[in-house]
Amino acid sequence: MSTTTQHTGAHAGAVESPSRGARLGFGGVIASEWIKFRTVRSTVWTLAITLVVMVGLSLLVAFGVTSAMDSSHANPADTGLPGSVIVTLGYYFAQMTIAVLGVLTITGEYSTGMIRSTLAAVPRRLPALWAKALVLAASTAVVSAVGIGLAYLVTRPMLSSHGMAVDLGDRTTQRVLIGCVLYLVAIALLGFAIGAVLRHSAASIATVLGVMLLLPILVLVIGNWVSWVRDLGPYMPTTAGERIMSTSTAVQAGSSGGGAGSSSGPTPLAPWTGLGLLAGYVVAVLTLAAVMLRRRDA
Amino acid sequence: MIDVRGLTKRYGSKTAVDDVTFTVHPGKVTGFLGPNGAGKSTTMRVIVGLDRPTHGSVTVNGRPYAQHHSPLREVGILLDAKAVHTGRSAYNHLRAMAATHHIPASRVDEVIEMTGLQSVAKKRVGGFSLGMGQRLGIASALLGDPKTLILDEPVNGLDPEGVLWVRNLVRYLASEGRTVFLSSHLMSEMAVTADHLIVVGRGKLIADAPVSQVLAQASGTTVRVRSPQATQLVELLQGPGVTVSSTEPGLMEITGSTAVLIGEAAARAQLVLHELTPVVSSLEDAYMALTKDDVEYHSTTSGIHPDHAGAHADAPTSSEPDGANR
Repeated sequence: MSTTTQHTGAHAGAVESPSRGARLGFGGVIASEWIKFRTVRSTVWTLAITLVVMVGLSLLVAFGVTSAMDSSHANPADTGLPGSVIVTLGYYFAQMTIAVLGVLTITGEYSTGMIRSTLAAVPRRLPALWAKALVLAASTAVVSAVGIGLAYLVTRPMLSSHGMAVDLGDRTTQRVLIGCVLYLVAIALLGFAIGAVLRHSAASIATVLGVMLLLPILVLVIGNWVSWVRDLGPYMPTTAGERIMSTSTAVQAGSSGGGAGSSSGPTPLAPWTGLGLLAGYVVAVLTLAAVMLRRRDA
Repeated sequence: MIDVRGLTKRYGSKTAVDDVTFTVHPGKVTGFLGPNGAGKSTTMRVIVGLDRPTHGSVTVNGRPYAQHHSPLREVGILLDAKAVHTGRSAYNHLRAMAATHHIPASRVDEVIEMTGLQSVAKKRVGGFSLGMGQRLGIASALLGDPKTLILDEPVNGLDPEGVLWVRNLVRYLASEGRTVFLSSHLMSEMAVTADHLIVVGRGKLIADAPVSQVLAQASGTTVRVRSPQATQLVELLQGPGVTVSSTEPGLMEITGSTAVLIGEAAARAQLVLHELTPVVSSLEDAYMALTKDDVEYHSTTSGIHPDHAGAHADAPTSSEPDGANR
């Protein structure tokens, strides 16, 4: 390392063109990723669909439940569906669009060759990965929060007239609502990390949806014969993560393979433990993605 | 200034670049010439850190590309026209690239104007022609007003007007004292654009010299000889540095000797010559001569292609007769 010559060289370069103080920085990389994120159609579509399914499903279920109550004169408690669950259960379909969004955020760059432009501008590479993850996580958080908010607003008249109004002051309700946002953020990052490792859209989407939806079912089925596989059930990524939205009175509707309601199954994880485990999986895959991004040719 | 030292890049068992060393200096246009698959793009990708070298090192303006504080201000790169997300508009692509370095939006407008992309800037890149894609790539390379420009096949897909534009642009950029390094597989283009040539073939460095010198070296020493006693003549002429190629019985192209020496040798041995012509090669011939590498015809019997000729790329071999008859 001939440090002296290097420094003079760099200094001379800086003096040569003082017109623009342009400099690579993490703030700039985040700004860049934000521009990239919102200027492709896949983002707009996946987020729009996410909103529609979140609000639409809540509305539909709220309508169904309240009509059933009208005809059967049932108590709110009998439905097994607290208001907080009704406004968040759109997550089950939203997680698929969100996972796809997470995948496409990174694989879209590989399939088009854009990644070479990205990495040429940010040759240390990892800042680009973190900035992408950050933009994706923040956008997912905002969109899912808006989705829950809208679902809350549109279902409110129906639910409150049946004594099922969502009590925002209730601790469990707060956990379910905030947990739903955090869960979707984790799923977005899971898709993103898998996409960063596999670098191929179709393969990554298949993998992430398989992990999310198929794996818990497989474990459940195989668990019928093999007891140690059955004991793995609660530790499956989505099964664990979904625990954050569990309420004491009910099994989360649509929960795939969550053992909360079955008395004979393995004990489900505590809400925050479950979400923590999902986060752990995400961090693990994201770390793998970071290591591979540093090592591989672009 | 680009400094490539002992660069080797292997992909699995395939060696794309084989121990290549050269320096690209500022203030002139350096052409990077070689047939397709010679390792030009690989070398350029390694220079900007997209591919990791297997051996060797590369520095740009004194340090590895990734260690610069403002990479886009040091090096502008056109790697290939397809390094852009097809779903994004040209304008948004450039804005996203500029944002990483806090380059103002006014500069984005500037490069769009410079490259003549105004009318399509708001359109999605997926619908771009190859020529428009090249212009966008060049716009992207110019964003940071870089001291060094690396352009991989910039004239590919451009119409004649675009080719002229690129030629004038790179010459202008070099005249400002910048380092300009552009690749091509077209010798004719390089001959009018570049000041200096770095020629590679099958991953190896073949030549690193001023354009005029490369042309002189490659074209000055070929002599066309027609003789009914070709076989005896070849035996006479054999020596270090002399190669003989033959495309039809009685006709030979001899390099590494001169018309004077060949004529005198033939006279001494009392061999009949029907033709003795120093061949002034065209640019493409010079290039073929350089890149044919070990496609040499050591045959002493005329008209017979040696066995190993078939193992080489078609282009140099099949164009040999054309060159000879021109």
